[in-house]
Amino acid sequence: MAAVDRYQYLLLMAGCLIVTLPLEFVFGARVWRQPRRLLFALVPTVIVFAVWDIGAIAREHWSFNARYVTGTRLPGNLPVEELAFFVVIPICGLLTLEAVRRILERAR
Amino acid sequence: MWQYTAAAVLAVVVVVLLEVRVLRTGLLGTRPYWIALTICYAFMIAVNGWLTKLTAPIVLYDADATTGWRFPWDIPVEDYLFGFALLTLAMLLWDAAAPKSREVAAVIPAEAAVRSVSTESASGTRS
Repeated sequence: MAAVDRYQYLLLMAGCLIVTLPLEFVFGARVWRQPRRLLFALVPTVIVFAVWDIGAIAREHWSFNARYVTGTRLPGNLPVEELAFFVVIPICGLLTLEAVRRILERAR
Repeated sequence: MWQYTAAAVLAVVVVVLLEVRVLRTGLLGTRPYWIALTICYAFMIAVNGWLTKLTAPIVLYDADATTGWRFPWDIPVEDYLFGFALLTLAMLLWDAAAPKSREVAAVIPAEAAVRSVSTESASGTRS
């Protein structure tokens, strides 16, 4: 298990993407199919939260359990898992928002 | 002391101000937004609960940086503000980049036609 443990955080993020994928194709969310609009939403969000994260890590507001992360750090000592979080979670949110919109439109 | 708490509150204020003063998408006054946010919070409790559970934490918090209030399980309450800011910022920018109404008009009738056909066939099988 120890070898898998290091991927726990990354696998959790992969799980989030897989679980929300049906929203795109079953409910017609159309988030993945608007890549430019998705990038417009993601890029500033990722930058703002990565900067916050880098600052908080430097001030030791939070830290990461070496057992459950790969140990790969990006510039600013940012774990690669945190970058994945800032990309994945907003995508999940957008898929949810658009799926709810499609469902309410159909209900009308 | 309570530095994460303060930063999280500030993040919520900044995101709301961005909407009110700059983007003005109207998102925060819509039903789909609040329904989606509620659903996201439900899943967030599962994901964040896993990340923060004190028996095998993936993310560890400095006791001095937070209020120490954790609910449910071991989720720091500050994370709900963090999550609100993260999700809402992405949704606001997403709506700010929505295709203009003329493009929407070109797309919607085709989709609506497909939808009404599928609805008819669905109701047909039901009756």
